Amino acid sequence: MGRTTERRTKRRGVVALAVVVPLLLTGVAACGSDSGGGGDVTINFVWWGSEGRANLTKKAVELFQQKNPKIKVQTSFSAYAAYWEKLATQTAGGKPPDVLNVDSRYLAEYGGRNVLADLNSGAGKAISLADVNPELAATGVYQGKRYAVPWAQNTPAMIYDPAAFTAAGADPAKGMTWDSYAEAAQKVSSTGGQTRGVTDFGILDTTLEIWLRQQGKQFYTPEGKLGFTGDDLHRYWELASKFRDTKGASPADVTASYNTSPEQSPLGKKLTSSEFAYDNLLPAYQKANGKPLNVAPYPSGANGDTGQYRRPSMFLAVSARSQQQEAAAKLVDFLVNAPEVGKIVGTDRGLAPNLKVRAQLAADAKGNDKTLYDYEAALEPKLGAAPPVPPKGAGAIQKLLQRTYEEVAFGRMSIDDAVNRFMTEAQKGLS
Amino acid sequence: MTTLRTPDPPVAPPAPAARGRRGRPAGRRRKSQPEAFAFLTPWLLGAVALTVGPMVVSLYLSFTDYDMFTSPKWVGFGNFTHMFTEDDRYLQSVTVTLIYVLVSVPLKLTVSLLVAMLLNTRRGANGFYRAAFYAPSLLGASVAAALVWRALFMGGGPVNEILAFFGWHTPSWVDDPQFSLASIVLLGVWQFGAPMVIFLAGLKQIPAELHEAAAIDGAGAFRRFRHITLPMLSPVIFFNLVMEAIHAFQAFTPAFVIGGGRGGPADADLFYTLYLFEVGFQDFRMGYASAMAWVLLVVIAIVTAIVFRTAKLWVFYDDAEDRK
Repeated sequence: MGRTTERRTKRRGVVALAVVVPLLLTGVAACGSDSGGGGDVTINFVWWGSEGRANLTKKAVELFQQKNPKIKVQTSFSAYAAYWEKLATQTAGGKPPDVLNVDSRYLAEYGGRNVLADLNSGAGKAISLADVNPELAATGVYQGKRYAVPWAQNTPAMIYDPAAFTAAGADPAKGMTWDSYAEAAQKVSSTGGQTRGVTDFGILDTTLEIWLRQQGKQFYTPEGKLGFTGDDLHRYWELASKFRDTKGASPADVTASYNTSPEQSPLGKKLTSSEFAYDNLLPAYQKANGKPLNVAPYPSGANGDTGQYRRPSMFLAVSARSQQQEAAAKLVDFLVNAPEVGKIVGTDRGLAPNLKVRAQLAADAKGNDKTLYDYEAALEPKLGAAPPVPPKGAGAIQKLLQRTYEEVAFGRMSIDDAVNRFMTEAQKGLS
Repeated sequence: MTTLRTPDPPVAPPAPAARGRRGRPAGRRRKSQPEAFAFLTPWLLGAVALTVGPMVVSLYLSFTDYDMFTSPKWVGFGNFTHMFTEDDRYLQSVTVTLIYVLVSVPLKLTVSLLVAMLLNTRRGANGFYRAAFYAPSLLGASVAAALVWRALFMGGGPVNEILAFFGWHTPSWVDDPQFSLASIVLLGVWQFGAPMVIFLAGLKQIPAELHEAAAIDGAGAFRRFRHITLPMLSPVIFFNLVMEAIHAFQAFTPAFVIGGGRGGPADADLFYTLYLFEVGFQDFRMGYASAMAWVLLVVIAIVTAIVFRTAKLWVFYDDAEDRK
């Protein structure tokens, strides 16, 4: 009796093995094969941004697929921070997307580590940059290699509520100095109830960069070191603290709630009447704030220079590990140069990189688009060249600036100590 | 004494600890059982491929400098020495996490025990209350709960308004370094359902005769709680303490969401796991992140071991005599 049961269980075990193992094997095999046949190629394309932006981009991609029926494009998008986390994981897993959206803060990180293809050679040569402003096109070059091409152009700018500033007797659109801005911001705060004049800019790396440029300095040197001293940062934070102490700028807890999305920012939540950002974000800010907003140049330094530059709003790049570099390059070229794309995506990411396309769009622009074109056209002669590509670790420096300044804003640290901490940690992070 | 013996320990989990090495049933030596392994195969494959494998790799990575894109470079104990000697943010993350563990765990255990005692009566609606009080725990480490929490405690949110009504004007809790961690502790405490249910089960196992006898001898409610409930419940407290401490060390989601994905204002919510995530997935220092993960594992193991060691001093098993 005992023996039969034993034999039976043994047989049952064999049956189980026979069932389970093939199941697992088919599972594994199913994971392995995912390519379609028939000469068609499939490429993956990812970007960051809101759903509205995604809808526009998907329309442009659909048009591309119509024109290139042999190429199938799979798209996906996420919010800015999540985008980088996902991209890092995919890249580490050896399967980066074929076409990807890159930011200048991370260009060195990915380009310098051979994740991105050099578009000056191979398939990338098919991407035409003939009609792109050469200075703007050069912003995608790092250590002699073209790792990315600009997808749009924008400019650091001040977004503000004209009604609030007019009531305070100021007109930012005509240009201000930092002193007159401080005064105006204080007046806006005193009449605005809960609303302060400006979102405290001590946390913003872009504003620090512009402020440094106004004095002929730079944030990063071409060698990838800090281009400013502790004294410079000290003066910058003193300026920001002057705004905060006179209640022109947002209180510390409002400043700490800042994150890069217009919907979540103090201006978007009506807690301030102006904020430093990029001009192409005007519609998003307006939607969040609800009042008609406008863009203005940065307040200028002593010599009248606003320090603004032609900024690559974001880049397109091709993965060095992509098996479909030709199709990928084709998509990039289409997104950068096709006039139809310009019409579809508008100024969501900034101005079209292709100057011919841009001129055509500018002529037909209405509403917020027109505001942007007019703003950039007026500014164009004054715009400088973009700074060198920030070094590896630039993404971390931005966060470092934010949290060390928060220590100052909350009164937990003197400016001296905060500057020391920033400089020590930044130099460690960039070495 | 034997007449008062409870049939079984109230919850299964503490039992292995109680039984110890001597208590293992002296079962017969088992022959190798291919069918058992056949049925275990899916789990075994999963465990090896998804847990053991990655752990071994991460142990290797913890001794390297690895940016995820280029191959890892061996640095020996470099990551570990950097952690303890040069990295101020690492120490900040340790401080924040320890404060969270030391404050939230006792609070959560106290609250869950109190609620369990309230619900341990024979009233009609108790079934409903039990479900209602347990519900927040179902949300567990969910992003949604943390988002709601952020909305409740932010500037101009309901908490601000209510406190202001009573004359206490506070800044935005989630955005102020002084209050931010407190709001996360409160979220942790609010999700007291799991330990509460276990406490409730434990309370039900305490024989009513003990309370009756003590009451007849003139013991008040507090004395009965102190000298009957607490000792009888100590194995359950022990189990909950271990589980909650481990959970608290690993807390991530609430800090990530409430702290705006970056360690909160001036790093006030920089939890250990959050810093680990940032180092690994945002700053591309996966070697360092792996080293951090292993240190956390070792620390949790040590803390758990200490709790187990001290258990002899305060955990009471009423059937301990039988086990010797």
